[in-house]
Amino acid sequence: MTKVDEKYKVGQYYPTIGIECHVQLKTKTKLFGTASNEARDAEPNTLVDQVCFGMPGALPVLNAEAVRLAAKAAYALGTKPQKFSKFDRKHYFYPDLPKGYQISQYDQPIILDGSITIHLDDNSIKTIHITRAHMEEDAGKSTHPSGADYSLVDLNRAGTPLLEIVSEPEIHNSAEAKAYAKELWLRMKYAGVSDVDLYHGNMRFDVNVSVSKDPNKFGTRSETKNLNSFKSVERAVDYEIKRQIELLEKGQEVVQETRGWLDDKQKTVSQRSKEDAHDYRYFPDPDIPPVVLDDEYLAEIEKDLPIMPDEWREKLQGCELDRQLIETLLEFQVEASTDFLSLLAAEKTTAKTYANWIVNVETPFMREHTGLVFSSESRQKAYVGVNKLVIEGKLSSNGVNSLLIKLFQMEVPCEDVEAVAEELGLIQMNDSGVLEKIVEQVIADNPKPAEDVKGGEMKAIGYLVGQVMKLSQGKANPAEAQKILRAKLGV
Amino acid sequence: MTEVWGSIGQLVSDVQSGKKSAQELVELSLSRIKEFNPEYDAIISILEEPARKRAVEIDEKLKKGEKAGRLAGVPFIAKDNFLVFGAETTAASNMLKGFVAPYQSTAIERLESEGAICVAKANLDAFAHGGSTENSDFFITKNPHDKTRVAGGSSGGSAASVALSLAPFALGTDTGGSIRQPASYCGVVGYKPTYGLVSRSGVVAMASSTDCIGVFARRSEDVALVLDIMSGEDTLDSTTIARDSSAYTDLENTVKGKKVGVISEYFGEGLDAQVKASVDSIIEKLKLAGAEIQEVSIPSIDLALAIYYVVVPAELSSNLARHDGQRYNYSAPDFKTLQESYEQSRSQGFGAEAKRRIMMGTHVLSSGYYDAYYKKAQTVRTKLINEFKAAFERVDFLVGPVAPTTAFKIGANEDPVAMYLQDILTVAANLVGIPAVSIPCGFDSNSLPIGFQVMAAQKDDRALLGFSKGVEELLI
Amino acid sequence: MSKLSREQILKLATLSRLRLTDDEIAKYQKDLSSILDYVERLEAADTKGLEPTYQVTGLLNRTREDVVVAQQATPDELLKRVPRTHDRYIKVGRMI
Repeated sequence: MTKVDEKYKVGQYYPTIGIECHVQLKTKTKLFGTASNEARDAEPNTLVDQVCFGMPGALPVLNAEAVRLAAKAAYALGTKPQKFSKFDRKHYFYPDLPKGYQISQYDQPIILDGSITIHLDDNSIKTIHITRAHMEEDAGKSTHPSGADYSLVDLNRAGTPLLEIVSEPEIHNSAEAKAYAKELWLRMKYAGVSDVDLYHGNMRFDVNVSVSKDPNKFGTRSETKNLNSFKSVERAVDYEIKRQIELLEKGQEVVQETRGWLDDKQKTVSQRSKEDAHDYRYFPDPDIPPVVLDDEYLAEIEKDLPIMPDEWREKLQGCELDRQLIETLLEFQVEASTDFLSLLAAEKTTAKTYANWIVNVETPFMREHTGLVFSSESRQKAYVGVNKLVIEGKLSSNGVNSLLIKLFQMEVPCEDVEAVAEELGLIQMNDSGVLEKIVEQVIADNPKPAEDVKGGEMKAIGYLVGQVMKLSQGKANPAEAQKILRAKLGV
Repeated sequence: MTEVWGSIGQLVSDVQSGKKSAQELVELSLSRIKEFNPEYDAIISILEEPARKRAVEIDEKLKKGEKAGRLAGVPFIAKDNFLVFGAETTAASNMLKGFVAPYQSTAIERLESEGAICVAKANLDAFAHGGSTENSDFFITKNPHDKTRVAGGSSGGSAASVALSLAPFALGTDTGGSIRQPASYCGVVGYKPTYGLVSRSGVVAMASSTDCIGVFARRSEDVALVLDIMSGEDTLDSTTIARDSSAYTDLENTVKGKKVGVISEYFGEGLDAQVKASVDSIIEKLKLAGAEIQEVSIPSIDLALAIYYVVVPAELSSNLARHDGQRYNYSAPDFKTLQESYEQSRSQGFGAEAKRRIMMGTHVLSSGYYDAYYKKAQTVRTKLINEFKAAFERVDFLVGPVAPTTAFKIGANEDPVAMYLQDILTVAANLVGIPAVSIPCGFDSNSLPIGFQVMAAQKDDRALLGFSKGVEELLI
Repeated sequence: MSKLSREQILKLATLSRLRLTDDEIAKYQKDLSSILDYVERLEAADTKGLEPTYQVTGLLNRTREDVVVAQQATPDELLKRVPRTHDRYIKVGRMI
């Protein structure tokens, strides 16, 4: 254990956090059975078969795609997959665990010794090591109707392939915890191994928190399970640090236990059941032959590895986009391809503009209209064309949005963006002659505001510009209009 | 025991040619079950209606000149740990009483698609835990040669069924001798293939790393045909191996020139004198027929039973964890809490032997004991495997007795360890994963059958069946 | 001698979700202890340099394609066998 840095100290205590993350791999079928893995809106207990139900005589058969995704994830976690790994049985009795054991990986998991760089809000970075990541099957879902003396179990999720990623206890505050969770999320997303939809539980976090007066020792830790947002990770960590310090200050002890996070109450609560001591009785699953990945297999995976977030960050920083915008862009993964990057890098000055359009116009629109296909060639032509019009002063900012939206819906790349803009009546009036005349008209029609402006009341100019816009049916370039107004009013 | 059916090959040919009909064969089986089973209790349930229905379908197919399969019309009986779709599958346990299988075992699926007809489910020791069917939660199967004695186990019902000619063949499972021992007690051929040759999908699991699906019949030739149909990789079982590319029915049938190793560790103390004499006389016959006999020592065999009684309970305790009363019977009717539901369902559903083995298994897998017990046992297993491999480099087959005695009296073996010692001659083949057969080779002075055991190297099933056929011919 | 204590038997029973009578506890204590006595002989076996054999087939990489295949056991048939259901849920004693 490395000594915890002074900067993390809270009162007299040094907090330490380790995070376990369960990622659902996006396969079509379950880890060990051929039932569908696409459970989103399914009725309970419809995506099940004898394997999911733990019927007598049912045997597990490993999903090749799950192995491939897990192997891919290894690279996203800064390492390569282990050449040899095997599956083990982990025993405990619970209604959402149909066989009375979970098939997991115990001492020879598919991933060992990874590391990732986390990015904090203050622009600093930190390396967090990944102890291991292993494949295992998910349990079913249980619900506990309030007031009832029973619980309900749905086994649709039983058998879903999971990758459980375990960090070293190198995190020491909630900001780092949040950054770590976010970075894992990004990496699993960019690696293409999971849908990482937090709302639907594709990714869940367990935080192990402990505090200690001695920076060289760990205190007793608690485990808060099933956090499904970055915010709740951050808050649960803060809550636990506070709760544990309070306990210790009172002279009480921190109990090693499992806790849950109540989002509505913003607190953790003990979920200790009477069976505390878990003897999982791990042993190698006799029904599943081990997995051996050879160099050829790894080469196949390495060949197609997508660009990872850190590499994107480097490239985008080269475009002089600010950090916040880069992080937002990464989150949207609007197009993890080199075309997009080239677009951004083409002229550094346009990067920020394009980034803003992608984040604020294109992505929200595409989310609402999921059937549309907008190729990188289409984007190239559209963005360059629209930007040209803006530079030429021919397009107002409202005009940009409307024009882009029209271009998003075109089936082929647009060769003549200006023509489309004209058709939509979006081209701003740039002809100073016509504009001058309109300004004159407005001044004439609005003597009092004009007097106000002349008299130093600059506020009124906004009103007059508005009138110019109105009279020009929105076609005037407001900046131009203001310029001319001022000139005419002599201010 | 009088033979009623004749060879399966002949039956198939008779049905094909129209000399016999599927319905006729099924009726013969059903009537024999009704006549003889009450005295011997080999059968748990009879699949009367489904069997008749299938027989009608097959006869119609044949009438139309369509193909109906390589076993068309042949009735068979399955040990009641084989799931038969739509039929009650109990594993002779209160835990699964009334459980109607929602899917079918691959072995039975393959047999049925070749026209064979499952007519009944046979008795066993509950969950296959035992060597006599005395652990069946329902009743004890009597030995067809002497009703006061056991038929053996755990596949006692299947062995007795074939001895009583209730059907031409029966399916069993062999985890530590559960096909071979009852075969030797009942005087029929009992065959355990190489581990992985027949899919375990749809068979109630006992010990996953040693469970084998196998066959009881009157002759090796019949076994070969059934094996040929059942064997081969299955997408529902990851531990299945590729089958032989040639047919298992393509048998060499010779003993001349074969190198035969007599396992010295199998002839020690505790081996009944008459069993020994019978086995010795077969070995002598083999020698006269031109086989090369030599003594082979496999020292780790003395540890095989100890390995077995660590590994098997461990694996079965894990495999039985799914019987918890929550998704299928048995489920205790009254409980106040979830934990009570678990405890009552399992305590009421499982018999004493199952509980004993479950706790033994739980112990040897427990934290603190795993390395010394389970891991150590599996490492000694490697030693045993290596010794067998070395032996098969010197010989083609290894031989010896199947059980230390002939069928014992019902109730004779009260003490579990004494009971477990019955397995001493059979468990090695399961731990190593090699094929082994019990061939009826004689009787003792009480007219009780004695079995002769032959083992071959992994995947040498075709050679073993050929040699087995050769041995049979020496005994005619 | 590897005799198991009564407490150990009770612990095993709990881990296996079995409820035993006093008679059963005593019987299993005796039985398990004598079985453990028998298997003690494994301890002395020389296994230097040997790895455990967990699977005798030597098979590796047995995987299947990621394709949905409807199995013979359908969801409705499976639910029919569930002792207690509520709508399509498996109903069990209160978990939390």
